[in-house]
Amino acid sequence: MRRAPITPYLFLAPMVVGLLVFRVIPIGVSFFASFTHWNVIAPPQWAGLANYREMLGSADFWRVLGNTSLFAAMYVPGVMIIGLALAVLVNRKLRGITFFRGLFFMPYITSLVAVALAWRWVFSTRFGLLNNALIEVFGITNPPAWLSDPIWALPSVAIVYIWQSAGFVMLLFLAGLQSIDRTLHDAARLDGATAWQSFRYVTLPLLSPVVFFVMIISLITSSQTFEVTYALTRGGPNGASTTLAYSVFQNAFVFYRMGYASALAYTLFALVGTLTLLNFTLRRRWVHYG
Amino acid sequence: MVDRAGTLTLPAVRSGSLRRDRMATQTLIYVFLIAFAAITVFPFAWMVITSLKDPRDVFRIPPSLVPGLLFTDQPLANYQTIFTELNFARYLFNSAFVATTCAIGQCVTCSLAGFAFARMDFPAKRWLFIGLLATLFVPVEVTIIPEFLLMIQLGWLDTYLPLIVPSLMVGAFGTFLLTEFFKTIPRDYEEAAAVEGANAFQVYWHVFLPLSRPALASLFVVAFITNWNELLRPVLYITNPDLRTVPLALMSFQGEYESAWTLLMAGAVLSILPMVLVYLAAQRYIVQGFMSSGIK
Repeated sequence: MRRAPITPYLFLAPMVVGLLVFRVIPIGVSFFASFTHWNVIAPPQWAGLANYREMLGSADFWRVLGNTSLFAAMYVPGVMIIGLALAVLVNRKLRGITFFRGLFFMPYITSLVAVALAWRWVFSTRFGLLNNALIEVFGITNPPAWLSDPIWALPSVAIVYIWQSAGFVMLLFLAGLQSIDRTLHDAARLDGATAWQSFRYVTLPLLSPVVFFVMIISLITSSQTFEVTYALTRGGPNGASTTLAYSVFQNAFVFYRMGYASALAYTLFALVGTLTLLNFTLRRRWVHYG
Repeated sequence: MVDRAGTLTLPAVRSGSLRRDRMATQTLIYVFLIAFAAITVFPFAWMVITSLKDPRDVFRIPPSLVPGLLFTDQPLANYQTIFTELNFARYLFNSAFVATTCAIGQCVTCSLAGFAFARMDFPAKRWLFIGLLATLFVPVEVTIIPEFLLMIQLGWLDTYLPLIVPSLMVGAFGTFLLTEFFKTIPRDYEEAAAVEGANAFQVYWHVFLPLSRPALASLFVVAFITNWNELLRPVLYITNPDLRTVPLALMSFQGEYESAWTLLMAGAVLSILPMVLVYLAAQRYIVQGFMSSGIK
């Protein structure tokens, strides 16, 4: 192909402009903003480290960080265990298995808002399916008010997210399982290993790089949840389900504290960045096995 | 194959009990599969059932699983209401318009950039590509505040533009996907075209795009679904009721018609149904697309 030296840049132009305007410059602007007081209406005022100082000294911030960790502590193991169980279940040649795979993945492509609304109706204190099942079937007399209960609000949000993304995690694990040499299992079975032993001592060790990778992805996902919280609890009751990402949203677009919200966003950035770097460095070391 | 070989080497005496074992295992697996399927389906089912109920039947204790309206002469009454009284056709149009524009736009911008990355040499190429990929890992929370302020400056609030332009112009994942795909296209094709005097754009348009239909299809459906479901940007940028997308409309319904569960669920069904249909039609592309977009 003969071409002028400018040609590559013509091809790249829309992407590069978009990258600059919507990513690179905003990353810089929000870093700068995190050192200012900025309420959108008045121009930003230099505040030095005031936002970060306020953040570290505020009980709310630590509570939000606690909620974020608690959410991760529920979501990550939950989605991984169910995802792995599903992957093991569908990793075989059985009648209708593609149907089940397709079905389990389906929640992942549906609107989180619509799904959250359906769950809101399931969680509804008096008329909800869940509480009525608990009362009628399991004889529990005083079921929680789920979404408006300070203890249960965050787990409820986690349940919806686990339900929604287990199928995705299933596919990640499935790809891992299918890359494992089947003769290893047959050898283990011939040596008298039970199905569980073969899973525990052959599959899991070989799957460990995938497990690690899925864990990092799930941690990153869990730190950036917004839709379900917005649709179900708005971070409530009384901040009980406010996570770091949701707190950025609230401070920026409910309280219009752009500077403080930017400081929170950069804290989240640092968290996600660390996880991502960890993923890349350790993946390189772990990916060659066997 | 290996399976069968493994089984055959076992002593023949045990084959009877082995078959029975296998039957038991299979039954157990189906039991688990069906249990998980039930958990997957039940929020959807509850949504559909509620959308087919008479509003007066919704607040019954214990809740009934019977979609009561199905046995009347107006089974779809709730759906009619959200179209006639709640302007739902407009919201569906808004979502479809935004999602289609974003998806087509991403296919264009990402394939253009992908072509340059896969087939051209230019200074700083490596750094540009790494920079592009790095943006995939930047949380939206970091960029959304400046983006919001930019949209105010541009006067784009309450237009489709802030829903479309950022998504259309920063397809980092799409560029990565298409770059990788273009690299697999044999060089012979473009050399043949070049011999005939085609310029770079002609090679891109007449050779690479037609050969890349599967990758473009994956990108299109992933971008379409992602934008159809997007909530944050409509929440930030849209206050005019006529410009609401479906997720935003559902959120405002929830505020305005707090206990109109039959209507809310009808709306929820309509926001999910198109995606489910797309999913059934193009499952392979969707799964591949989301897998590579999630793995990064």
